Amino acid sequence: MTNAKLQAIIDSAKRDWAAYQSDGRQHVRICIDTSSLARGGQATLDALRAAVAARGLNVDVGTGGSWGFSWMEPTLTVRSAAGTRTVLYANLTAERVDEFVDRVLAAGGDMPELALGVVEGTSTPEVPLLSDHPFMKGQVRRLMANIGVIDPENIDHYIALGGYEGFGKALEMDAEAIVKEVVDSGLGGRAGGGFPAGRKWDFLRSATAEPRYLVCNADEGDPGAWVNRVLMEGDPQLIVEGMLIAALAARAREGYIYIRYEYPLAFARMQTAVDQAYAKGLLGTNILGSGLDFDLVVFRGAGSYVCGEETGLINSIDGYRGMPRIKPPFPAQAGLWNKPTNVNNVESYANAPLILRNGAEWWSTVSTAKEKGTKMFTFSGSVNWQGCVEIVYGPTVREALEQYAGGMKDGKRCKGFQPGGPLSGVVNGDELDLTLTLDPYRERGLFLGGGGIVFFDESACIVDLCTYFLGFCEAESCGRCTTCHGGTQRAVEILRRISLGGGREADLENFQELVKTLVWSNCFHGQFAMTTIKTALKAFAGEWTEHIVEKRCRAGVCPGLIEYRVRSQTDAALAEARAICPTAAFVEEGGQWRVDDALCVRCGACREVAPNAIEVRDRLAAPIAAGAAAGA
Amino acid sequence: MQPEPTLEELRGLVADFQPGRGHVMPALHRVQDRYGYISRAAIEVVARQLNTTPALVYGTVSFYDDFRTHPRPETEIAWCSGPACRLRGGDRIREAIQQTLELPLGGESEDHRYGLHVGQCNGTCSEAPQVWVNGEVVGNLSVSAAIRLAREVKGE
Ligand SMILES: Cc1cc2nc3c(=O)[nH]c(=O)nc-3n(C[C@H](O)[C@H](O)[C@H](O)COP(=O)(O)O)c2cc1C
Ligand code: FES
Repeated sequence: MTNAKLQAIIDSAKRDWAAYQSDGRQHVRICIDTSSLARGGQATLDALRAAVAARGLNVDVGTGGSWGFSWMEPTLTVRSAAGTRTVLYANLTAERVDEFVDRVLAAGGDMPELALGVVEGTSTPEVPLLSDHPFMKGQVRRLMANIGVIDPENIDHYIALGGYEGFGKALEMDAEAIVKEVVDSGLGGRAGGGFPAGRKWDFLRSATAEPRYLVCNADEGDPGAWVNRVLMEGDPQLIVEGMLIAALAARAREGYIYIRYEYPLAFARMQTAVDQAYAKGLLGTNILGSGLDFDLVVFRGAGSYVCGEETGLINSIDGYRGMPRIKPPFPAQAGLWNKPTNVNNVESYANAPLILRNGAEWWSTVSTAKEKGTKMFTFSGSVNWQGCVEIVYGPTVREALEQYAGGMKDGKRCKGFQPGGPLSGVVNGDELDLTLTLDPYRERGLFLGGGGIVFFDESACIVDLCTYFLGFCEAESCGRCTTCHGGTQRAVEILRRISLGGGREADLENFQELVKTLVWSNCFHGQFAMTTIKTALKAFAGEWTEHIVEKRCRAGVCPGLIEYRVRSQTDAALAEARAICPTAAFVEEGGQWRVDDALCVRCGACREVAPNAIEVRDRLAAPIAAGAAAGA
Repeated sequence: MQPEPTLEELRGLVADFQPGRGHVMPALHRVQDRYGYISRAAIEVVARQLNTTPALVYGTVSFYDDFRTHPRPETEIAWCSGPACRLRGGDRIREAIQQTLELPLGGESEDHRYGLHVGQCNGTCSEAPQVWVNGEVVGNLSVSAAIRLAREVKGE
């Protein structure tokens, strides 16, 4: 009993897709997303189009989102003319395009050295099935099912593969029934809080004031997280449809998608998606004759982390400084223009179409953990693979690290990880058996955030990491609370002093004092700004004592605890070391070169170019293992 | 570099924005997309168009790291401040670039030829450590490569 207008749209999209799939041409779909562009994706695409044209090949060259192999972009699929076999390739640089086109497109062969695997069809000893690739094994791709398969700038592709079926079902349901379906699914907020999305929609549904607003939080400010970006750049209609379903459930009239400034491509793709949905009559007034009115605005941020906090975000849309508001009132009571407003993360909304299309039961039973459904994660830091995955909640961090991040770089030991953004804390590498679920972190005063997990090895110094994260919190403090802007500033001052060799035993108490003080801040930013230090003091206790009492930085990072010295006066590279030094810190005395400690900024350039001539020592004059301070 | 916009141009540019509808940020973006920065005159024009005050609009502009009140320098190095970059020597790269350019973070040379901006991680962490030079990624940097890059930008 689907809406007839929607059915017509779906039928037509399916017809077009079927015709496209059987057009007898090879189909190439190359990933053009931010990661691919950073790795020369545009040059590859241009070269590909030119090479295909030059050879007069009748090949369709289209663009798509990311399969998640972000560290191996540009990736691309080649689908055979008969449509029976599709292979995923990686790392195709512009220089190799001619060879690729000759061997794969013109001759119809494989190029095993670039192949990741066979997506569909028969494998060979050289090109195994993609599903057997260690990175793909165990992934459950639901949100990412279309990504890399469809053109994210073509709404018909989305619709042909089941898009808007969930919305079609929701159109036939009343608001309570939609809410119930989403509540039953157990969908929890994907920004990390885990609050049931259905219940939040119900707050809005039962609010009395008009109009009601929906906001999609696409600020994704946690450095090291790009799951929302992969969704927006790869399958933006999923978010549009999700918000439409939420609009029906919450009886909202208007929605905003707030995208961070750093994501211009995601902004462009979301805008195109919204424009195309309008053109199809899926947004606007009296949508498909159903009586539903829903307008969607794609909104661009301008560089501010606290604008990811929902009330900071609301102030930002309102046109003010993006300072988080004092709660209560909560957005459900007084949000945008003081009207009831629901804020959810990109990934939260994106699950709604899947829940409605396939039912709460199907959606939730994939996971036996308390947290239902699948979750996207990105892994970065000192790991081999910096990619994006979609998995069911529950594997241990060790499993995720080994399987999806390809293990630690150079086989080093994992010293620790950060589970989800600068407010989430740090965990010692001894605890890699923690599962990727919410509770274990909560219980330890940590926080599994929006999906960005950062791993570090022994070359990282815990004082340095704390300085970085606290510096981030200080820079991004909105300035409202003295506890927050003053407290983070104080914490950074103390950390800097420690790293310069001036640590005092009382500093540990000073930190505890700050921990106690900052919880009195208004918003989570201030309240959790000290989490990194608080958790690091426990998890890496010995390293703090080393810094403060022994004045030693085991990683050879803290500037006041190390010194650069000329080890060999005769090494040929010494001249290069002198030349690269940005502060002219090399001075000659009696025919001998030495590094002037006051001028040296510990950038390490000299040791990079002259590893045998320059050494790093600590205060105890014991040489630090080469490579440690290089951090690479 | 774009010439200083006239009031006439500015008014025309933001004429379709309306008060009370979340148009402050979009109006500022449009000005900056067009001219590269948001001048004092632009702040006044936007305030008038949106029926608010220059003080409030300036408050908004100054809150965000990526709104600029001055033209971009000819060459801008944006340094990635993110964690993956830091774990691969990003902070030593910052120190080296600052020393070479003789600029603080966020600073620019007196002749506006070059400047140093703080960039945020955009999830291209596989290229760490990286900077963006006028928006183009320069990844997998070493400290020495960063120094050479900065010297080139500086014209040394
Ligand atoms: C400082 C700060 C930054 C935040 N940044 C984001 C963000 O970038 N994206 C996001 O979805 N939520 C962010 N949040 C959480 C939001 O306030 C809000 O809880 C979330 O968008 C709710 O979505 P969910 O219920 O679907 O998870 C942030 C919170 C704080 C305190
Ligand atoms: S940390 Fe630099 S790109 Fe992610």
